[in-house]
Amino acid sequence: MKAVRLPCVVALAFFAWGLGAMAQIPRDMTPVTARTSPEDVAAGRAIYESTCSKCHGIDGGGGDGPILQGVTDRLGDTQTGAIIRQGIPGSGMGAFWQISVEQAGQIFGYLKSLSHEEKGIAPGDIAKGKDTYTKSGCAGCHMIAGEGGDVGPELTRIGAMRGPSYLRGALLNPGSNLPKDAGVMERGRFMQYLFVHTVDKAGKTIDGTRVSEDSFTIVIKDSTGRIHALRKLDLQTFEKIPGKSVMPSYRDTVTGSDLDNLIAYLTSLKGTQ
Amino acid sequence: MKTARFVPILLAFSIPAAALAQAPPVVPYERLVKSDGEPQDWMTYGGNYYGQRFSALRQINKLNVGTLRMAWAYQTVRPASNMESSPIVVDGIMYLTEPPSTVTALDSRTGAKIWTWSPILNNVVAIGLFQTNRGVAILDKTVYIATIDAHLVALDAKTGAVKWNTLVADNRVGYAITGPPLVINGKVLIGTGGSEAAVRGFLDCFDAATGKRLWRIWTVPALNEPGSESWGTALPEGGTTWNAGAYDPELNLVYWGTGNPAPDWNGDERPGDNLYTCSLLAIDPDTGKMKWFFQFSPHETHDWDASEPPVLFDDSINGKPRKLLGFANRNGFYYVLDRATGEFITGIPYVKQTWAKGLDAKGRPIFLPNIDPTPEGNLVFPSITGAVNWTSPSYSPLTKLFYVDAREMGSYFLKSAPRWEPGKFPAGGGGERALSGDDAYGAIRALDGTTGKRKWEFKLLAPSWVGTLATGGGLVFSGSDEGNFFALDADTGKPLWEIFLGSSIRSNPVTFAVDGKQYVIVSAGSTFFTFALP
Repeated sequence: MKAVRLPCVVALAFFAWGLGAMAQIPRDMTPVTARTSPEDVAAGRAIYESTCSKCHGIDGGGGDGPILQGVTDRLGDTQTGAIIRQGIPGSGMGAFWQISVEQAGQIFGYLKSLSHEEKGIAPGDIAKGKDTYTKSGCAGCHMIAGEGGDVGPELTRIGAMRGPSYLRGALLNPGSNLPKDAGVMERGRFMQYLFVHTVDKAGKTIDGTRVSEDSFTIVIKDSTGRIHALRKLDLQTFEKIPGKSVMPSYRDTVTGSDLDNLIAYLTSLKGTQ
Repeated sequence: MKTARFVPILLAFSIPAAALAQAPPVVPYERLVKSDGEPQDWMTYGGNYYGQRFSALRQINKLNVGTLRMAWAYQTVRPASNMESSPIVVDGIMYLTEPPSTVTALDSRTGAKIWTWSPILNNVVAIGLFQTNRGVAILDKTVYIATIDAHLVALDAKTGAVKWNTLVADNRVGYAITGPPLVINGKVLIGTGGSEAAVRGFLDCFDAATGKRLWRIWTVPALNEPGSESWGTALPEGGTTWNAGAYDPELNLVYWGTGNPAPDWNGDERPGDNLYTCSLLAIDPDTGKMKWFFQFSPHETHDWDASEPPVLFDDSINGKPRKLLGFANRNGFYYVLDRATGEFITGIPYVKQTWAKGLDAKGRPIFLPNIDPTPEGNLVFPSITGAVNWTSPSYSPLTKLFYVDAREMGSYFLKSAPRWEPGKFPAGGGGERALSGDDAYGAIRALDGTTGKRKWEFKLLAPSWVGTLATGGGLVFSGSDEGNFFALDADTGKPLWEIFLGSSIRSNPVTFAVDGKQYVIVSAGSTFFTFALP
């Protein structure tokens, strides 16, 4: 681009002056908005792959840095846009002032295209699905807008987080496709709601879903919602069982149009923001 | 028999009562050479010139470590993540660093601050690295810090006043420093990072008194220099020297590892071995000339820098006493070299690796087919961050075991067109999709120093970024990425003590003693935690 050539020469001349003195690059705080045209997304992808992928993974799946798939759902547009160029002070995410506002917008557009949200349309009837939800006892374990149990995950915004095919899989084969958390690197991509089986040295069994874990401790929520924090060294059996779940399968109890309706209802739950 | 070594553990180590926090330390070179004779101090980054991270202190030992309690804590001036600092302690005064390039001197008995120094930093370029610092060096009455913007600064040990400030390299094109300097007789050696910015690697040596550069050795050749034939027609780039080195005063050789060639994951434009990247260099510090080199990973395409701290030790091979060098490489192999000659003695994997059939008689890897990154992603173990990374292993002359924080994790390695603008975009040409979470784990492993055979392991939930510390009390200290700090039995790996510090530990633990009391220190989050017996 011809337009940037002159400022570059001026900047180089400025660099040449002071021994060891750092030239001040003016910090342009212009808000970054997502550029979502196919051309911009493609350009954003190229910049992303060469600049961001080392830490965030080439598909936004995380690396040294956090997972960026669905990041705009979590942080919102304003914050996501700001972080691309300004970084997060005190963290591994440095500022990228060298990237233009336009380029940052292209990266932003590419990040949006990585969102987890599935764009499928559920074919069922939302009102009937709500009935199925009530009759099937889902509220015994799940909470929606403050109503329901706390054994399983809250579903207030489940329609904004998961698409119909994912929800269908979760109802028919709970535990088969568990979501992964969005921490950084070694602290990220752990399976959420992982089923854990333990037996302590006195022979007492505690099973449930993993709430948290470190190298010495496992925290489990059992099928009644009770939390147990256990020292691994105190256990004679400690097994993680991917694929298993405290949630029963609804393969035989919610079928046909009832299943479609339930999925349509869950998909409609977008919460409030 | 190991049992014979247990006898003296009950006796508290006699510590010289010379620890006076008021007196400014004076650390002549001779003290650094004989640092093992003063186990109450931790005078160099690696605990001694050999980089063993072993302390003879045994007041804290297998029998009483279970009663360890927090003594004091120090929180950084500003909140920090990725605090990788390893303090040094001399005559009761501790010098630690805070991200990005701050030095703080503390009273090591209480954590009370004596002075803090920070550089003025503007528009730092840090491509492919965290803005952090791993530690300082001390010589005579001067503390040396290398800054993120690639300056080397000499500070008065008593006051923190700047004695000199020398520009090592141009940060605007991507040179940055996170590693500790190595000081020897009258000299300060320092390397830099920046391979992801495609800078040309080097090791520099400065006059400790004046900051004048004495020599520079480039780690990759210029075009048409010997070695450039190992790059095809490409301009050799990379091979930076971003972590700690070691030193053998008798042989008068400095040992320093080099990082990846650039671009990292796309090697198409640089056919050949790409000398002297991903290698260990043995350098004469008087002349800056290379005495020998050993390349671990020729034509590297997985970002497996050979930047791990080398560990020097002496032992017998086939009944003959040898001067050895142990190296747990990011590529997944543990190597034993003769440190006088560079001769390869042995090398075996210490983690799962899927890229080499093994090593040949000279230590060169026998590559398996189809291991390079691809546009779709090629699953290879270990991951980009490696079987270890910058953290320091330890070696106990008592157990003759090498303790390493092993990282069991693979990556889908991706390849794309390299793109590079000086000081702007990294020259990676790819990246990774790591198999982290429940697909990965970490372990503290004890390897026989001379054979690399595993004696024991202690498993961790996640691959860790915490070095190990071995002590005369028969203990190995390390930590987890989740925040557990713990002590293991150095002979068996059995956990003897643990505390949760509430945030990722990403540093090397250190031990020291003052006023007759032994302490262990490690950082987690923005805090340094110090522990002692009640």
